[in-house]
Amino acid sequence: MTSAGVMRIAVGLYILLFFAYLFGPLVVMSFTAFNSSEFPSISPWNCVTGEWFDVLVKDKHLMGGLRSSLFVGIGVVLLAVPIGLAASLLMTQLQKRARSVVYTVAISPILVPGVVLGISTLVFWERIDRVVLGVEDGFFYDGYFMTIIGQSTFIAAYAMLVFLARLQRFDPGLEEAALDLGATQTQVFRKILLPFLKPAIASAAVLAFLASFENYNTTVFTIVSESTLTTVLASKVRYGINPSISALAVIIIALTLLSAVIHEYLKRKEVKTTSALVAEGLPRGGSESRPHPMRIPVGALTGLVVISLLAGLWFARGYDVDECKVRVAEENRIHFEALKQQRLAEAKAKREASGEDASAAVEANQTGRQYQSIFAPTNLGQQVDSDLETETGADAAVEANQQGRQYQGIFDPGNLGKQVDSAPEND
Amino acid sequence: MSADVQLDDVWVQFGDFVAVRDASLTIEGGEFFSFLGPSGCGKTTLLRAISGFQAPSRGRVLIGGQDMAGIGPNRRPTALIFQNLALFPLMRVWENISFALEVKGVEKSARRKKADELLELVALPGQGDKMVHELSGGQKQRVAVARALCAEPEVLLLDEPLSALDLKLRQHMRTELRAIQQRAGITFIYITHDQGEALTMSDRIAVMRQGVIDQIGDGTTVYDHPETAFVASFVGENNFFSGRVAEVSGATATVDTQAGRFCARISGAVPVWPGDEAIVFVRPESIRFARNGSDQNTLTVKLTHQEFEGHFWHLVLQTDSGDQIRMSVMNDGSSDTHEMESWIDIGFSAQSAIVLARGDLAAD
Amino acid sequence: MLGWLRWFMARNGIALSVYMLGAVALWVIVMIVLPQLFMLDFSFRHNWQQIDPSKMGGPEDVYTFVNYHFLAYGSPNNPDPFNVVDVTVFFRTIIAAVFVTIFDLALCYPIAYYLAQVARGGKARLLVLSLIIPFWVNELLRAFAFRILFGEEGTINAILVGLGLLSEPIDFVREDVALYAGLGYAYILLMIFPIYNVVESLDKNQIEAARDMGASWLRIHRRVVIPFAKPGITSGCTMVFMLSAGALAAPQILGGPSSLWFTQIIYQWFNTGSNWPRGSAYAIVLMLTCVLLVLVLMKIFKVKIGEIGR
Repeated sequence: MTSAGVMRIAVGLYILLFFAYLFGPLVVMSFTAFNSSEFPSISPWNCVTGEWFDVLVKDKHLMGGLRSSLFVGIGVVLLAVPIGLAASLLMTQLQKRARSVVYTVAISPILVPGVVLGISTLVFWERIDRVVLGVEDGFFYDGYFMTIIGQSTFIAAYAMLVFLARLQRFDPGLEEAALDLGATQTQVFRKILLPFLKPAIASAAVLAFLASFENYNTTVFTIVSESTLTTVLASKVRYGINPSISALAVIIIALTLLSAVIHEYLKRKEVKTTSALVAEGLPRGGSESRPHPMRIPVGALTGLVVISLLAGLWFARGYDVDECKVRVAEENRIHFEALKQQRLAEAKAKREASGEDASAAVEANQTGRQYQSIFAPTNLGQQVDSDLETETGADAAVEANQQGRQYQGIFDPGNLGKQVDSAPEND
Repeated sequence: MSADVQLDDVWVQFGDFVAVRDASLTIEGGEFFSFLGPSGCGKTTLLRAISGFQAPSRGRVLIGGQDMAGIGPNRRPTALIFQNLALFPLMRVWENISFALEVKGVEKSARRKKADELLELVALPGQGDKMVHELSGGQKQRVAVARALCAEPEVLLLDEPLSALDLKLRQHMRTELRAIQQRAGITFIYITHDQGEALTMSDRIAVMRQGVIDQIGDGTTVYDHPETAFVASFVGENNFFSGRVAEVSGATATVDTQAGRFCARISGAVPVWPGDEAIVFVRPESIRFARNGSDQNTLTVKLTHQEFEGHFWHLVLQTDSGDQIRMSVMNDGSSDTHEMESWIDIGFSAQSAIVLARGDLAAD
Repeated sequence: MLGWLRWFMARNGIALSVYMLGAVALWVIVMIVLPQLFMLDFSFRHNWQQIDPSKMGGPEDVYTFVNYHFLAYGSPNNPDPFNVVDVTVFFRTIIAAVFVTIFDLALCYPIAYYLAQVARGGKARLLVLSLIIPFWVNELLRAFAFRILFGEEGTINAILVGLGLLSEPIDFVREDVALYAGLGYAYILLMIFPIYNVVESLDKNQIEAARDMGASWLRIHRRVVIPFAKPGITSGCTMVFMLSAGALAAPQILGGPSSLWFTQIIYQWFNTGSNWPRGSAYAIVLMLTCVLLVLVLMKIFKVKIGEIGR
């Protein structure tokens, strides 16, 4: 084989591995959302189920967090996009030196760690509240208000970058032409500049909303007594929990795919109007409608999503989850029973060999402890709320709890339904 | 309606750089007036001063007798056609054209009607619903004109609007623009670096050099009676011989140059005296093959290059002293043909050559 | 300034001028500069708010270095010569962030180059688009995914044990493997895109010319591609370093029980610790260290701040 051939294979392998690293975790997580196993995993695959989506939707904390995330996201769009627009417009009218100063200050929030932005926002408005309003926990010391402000601090910089990129292709001659034809400055802005910036406004808004929606580092400081989806998620994820989080991830990934497609579409539209601009002054036919190179991959992607959703639905239709669960539980029981018999036999053999019964006692003791942990209060409810409990303890407790649950399921299949129902209460 | 435009000692300065220096002139209402000059001569700056995008550092701009100081471009009775046309890419053709009405709050049907009328005027009937990028270069040109006319300006300002077109279309649009101007009956102020455009369309031409207006006159005056060396060298092709004035008699002068002693008519506004440094200009089409010494000025040259261009032969000749001379010969079958590198006698009359005081020449 | 203002007002009209100047002033002054200054101010104060609110504004409410002193030396009855826990965590965070950055650079440069110069047409577009998707999945969920993979009962252990490669599952979380893999994963995109954008604008002919002159594959990258991609590389490294040093979600979810991230300490001061001034001081130290490191990096590679974020 030639060295070029070896090279090509190596490159292909590298890219394959890279994308496996990129998508593997997400794919595995998505699968766990459909596994009936109590703990998010795929390795002991139990039953295909949609129950985690139910658990998710019934989770009051998460749904409340989702609502505030939407609210905050809209607030951020309404604040950050106009600020980014104003900054980008101002930037185009400044002299070089002033422009570089403003630019440096304006993009600094992107470079400052998110936690620092959150802290400074919190400290500032708390102080404003105390000094200006003279009260504690007044108007400004409000989780929503501070979160919108804090997030907008750096999201406005994202918006500004989007607008600056678009404005680079703007012909200022168009503004002059409109002025010359009798338009006022406001009319020029409304009729010439805004229509030109429309695609950029749309993508800045999408970007701002998504950035807000997924922000954690800033929000966790500014949200104080409220909670957004990310802060609820964080406290849940830190303590293990069940696959309803995976179900949420599946939904978010699906939405992400969708918005990626929309974003790409908007971008393409923007490119199209730009190419029309560039085609100005070219002879006719200079801007023929080219086939869009994105049409194929975007179409393929959308198709995949739709097909997998349909497949999922079809699969879920003629399939009884409970039946499967009972079967899996039975299998597990048999397996465990066999294991137990084997262990007992081993122990017996050992005991016979050495004449000791210590190991059997230990064995029994361990099993007993595990059972105990099933019924022991595992504090799951408290864990979520008390953020700063020592993580070791909490993790151990969760671990024990899961262990316990699994064993419990084995011995009492009838209990399973109850268990699933009680999960949201626990969380 | 058309208005006259008066420039009264207009200066435009950017820091230390003087873009326009003491521009004073009056453009009559209904006139087709051109500013002609090489790039960077200040003609676009002057146009921006008239349209209101650039405030003069000194002096006044009057339109229709009214001082324009402090009046923004959107409130002047002028409309500007931009070099790149600046058509709004996101609007349809008719929306582009009627934009001036849109900003005045005119209702849609009236705007549409006006746009259709103007499309008729610029010979583009029925194209109103197209997008701008669907038009050809020449069509865009006309849309730009229609859009400017829709504002019902008293003065239309055109900033090299034909420069993006190819040669044939450019020549066609010259005639077209002139016709539109006559139909619309308003003042056109035209900026160009192309002397062909200026000569074919304009009633009068102002030739500019480094922020200064060198000469104002109609096409034939500027071509035949240039007043400065710059105008002579910039407008049309010219051969020139630098030298010193030996003798002045009446309207003619004799100049001693490297290539010989030439007699030519005095053209400049500034008189020349014996001993002055001067330049003799003679156009390629004024040079003839010498026969029997009928011309006052003769010289012997070597043929170094020739090009055939249909109705003309273009010859490049070289004197003993190394000067290059260009000569155009009508292809009417009457002229002799010459071998390359052969020596030829040529000549020109004193009437067809001019003497001007030494000054800057246009760069090639 | 006044002249500029007049020109600006004339150019934009009153409504637009007020909007532009107002919005930018609100952003720069009220949202960016003042909060930072207040935080700086706060970091030099005593924690009277929590200890003894009556002393606020009183004679004892003076500026102090006590919070910075605590970071360096710990409480007065600390037997060690310095604050072992916090200082260790601080340096470990910075060094780990540097390693995450290097890891991402090594991982992403070939991909960015491949996408920008080798892959073509629809395939390249599809790959680029598919890069964006994981980026938009919540940081917490990405960390959660790694927890599923790397947990003791996780997929990787299950596979390794299942294949018989391991007899006992490894606790990847305790070993911090999960944390570094998760952090590296979280910011891949911020490394790829700046490099991709720059390399894409590199004229293919330059590479071909170098190859034509007999340059080896390695030399082409060292002499042609990397120098050209420098602004992108610096930009990517800056972003990845800043974000991993300032990360909070991934360390909280993937960090081993014994290893804290510096941001977690800050978080504790604000929550359970209820000592905002101390938390502010810690945040300032983190921020200044990061900014300083980045400025040094940009100085070394001669890249201007204006080129970041493009």
